[in-house]
Amino acid sequence: MTKINLEFVTHFLTSFIRQEYSKLGFQRAIIGLSGGLDSSVAAHLAARALSPANVIGLIMPYRTTPPQDLEDAREVAERLQLRTQTIDITPMIEAYFQSQPTDNNIQRGNKMARERMAILYDFSARYQALILGTSNKTELLLGYCTIHGDMASAINPLGDLYKTQVRLMARHLGVPARIIHKIPSAGFWPGQTDEAELGMSYEEIDQILYHLVDKRKSKQQLLSLGFPEEKIGRIISLIKASEFKRKPPLIPKLSERTVTHDFLYPYDWDK
Amino acid sequence: MIKVALAQIKPFLGEVNKNLDLHLDLIEQAHQNKVNILLFPELSLTGYLLRDLVPEVALHPSQSPIFQRLLKACQDLIIILGFVEEKEPGLYFNSVACLGRGQIFHIHRKVYLPNYGMFEEGKFFTPGRAITSFDFPYGRAGLLICYDFLHYGTSYALFSGGADYIFVLSAAPGRGFQESPGFASQRMWELMGETISFFSSVFVFYCNRVGFEDGKGFAGGSFIYNPFGQLIAQAPPLDKDMLITDIDPGDLQAARQKRFYRRDNRPEIIWRSLEKIIRND
Repeated sequence: MTKINLEFVTHFLTSFIRQEYSKLGFQRAIIGLSGGLDSSVAAHLAARALSPANVIGLIMPYRTTPPQDLEDAREVAERLQLRTQTIDITPMIEAYFQSQPTDNNIQRGNKMARERMAILYDFSARYQALILGTSNKTELLLGYCTIHGDMASAINPLGDLYKTQVRLMARHLGVPARIIHKIPSAGFWPGQTDEAELGMSYEEIDQILYHLVDKRKSKQQLLSLGFPEEKIGRIISLIKASEFKRKPPLIPKLSERTVTHDFLYPYDWDK
Repeated sequence: MIKVALAQIKPFLGEVNKNLDLHLDLIEQAHQNKVNILLFPELSLTGYLLRDLVPEVALHPSQSPIFQRLLKACQDLIIILGFVEEKEPGLYFNSVACLGRGQIFHIHRKVYLPNYGMFEEGKFFTPGRAITSFDFPYGRAGLLICYDFLHYGTSYALFSGGADYIFVLSAAPGRGFQESPGFASQRMWELMGETISFFSSVFVFYCNRVGFEDGKGFAGGSFIYNPFGQLIAQAPPLDKDMLITDIDPGDLQAARQKRFYRRDNRPEIIWRSLEKIIRND
């Protein structure tokens, strides 16, 4: 992957955040802080763009959340001097699964992600604070994220940065080293890690994605560059299988003008 | 000397009246700085990513009260600005106008409408059909809009039509981040600016906008090349700016005495060659 100018990217993304918040008429941002890399970087960008006093960090642990993650989330907030609030989602999650039991960890994890989303939207209304997303390009392309869960936000500044680029940004922005070196995990169950579940490292994934997506290389060209066939195949199938997560729901076209088909207005309409 | 200002602005999307105020403010600023020519970016009166808003913001310059107010504010100042033109009912063009001193000197309608990847202008606009040099108070000029300029035949047509000044109005989103500051896409504009100014012995003025629309960040980086192919002024990337520069029209004569591209141009040979190609197609 080509090197990137981290100061330029910082300037670009903070300008983006500042301008969008101003256009949408919000002063305050609200971010779900997990103590992981992506939300820490998003919080740093938001604090620079909108000033720390205008950024609210919501910390939403479940009973299995490692205490270290909680501590890291609090450290980010303290260093940046953000307002935070901690809401334990255990009672809501337990109540639901007591009445609708399952031993499927993915289902449980998705439910947790959507519980956090619901709380974020509620707090968005309480504080008139617009939700800043934390999804990176790697997870958006692989679909390694929960639709209507952690994918839900108003604007998503990290959406065109691969995970390894977010890590570079973290260093540049002064995110604590422990967070930068933490093994990434969606936190669906104790001991889960992204890389074990995906079967490859983020370095490998991002290299393959960069050549496939940014450079529009074919599978054949990737093979000749020396990437293993099995990994290329797995990544391509993950991308295809998750396209629905990157699109609004399909609407069957009946009329002469239909939402998502030919009712074509900019997001920034009248802003 | 001629004082030229490039207004690297952030227009409001779909809000013609707010943009009119923005133009009037900059015209006032130009008067205060004794500017002779003030250049705005593409679709400066409307914003860029209009899609189905195109018909709502369209104007007919000769009947538009907005153009009347601009003409009145200009007095001796010459301005070049971008707008949506409804040339006839239902036909919308991505146009630019050069006006001042009580008259509209020229209107150019964008010929090359980008319609690939993130661009979809071909879906909403009618393509223009002419590239014409025209006389205005400071000599002979040509107008191009964004993607027009990336097709070098357009500049050749203006060069052959005797243009001394090529004004390019742009709404170019940045793309391709890299090790150095700014976007990789900026290079193609500068490459063309340098090439056209050098090989046509003309001034090239490129005014790009800034700000975000639907996540696309317009890259700024407006610039001026002199007829020797030298970069003489440049605005920063991404941020608003009013770049005011004195240019020496004497450079036109000096450049053409040094390099004889202008004198030795043979448009009739090019014309015949193109005609053969088109007929045999």
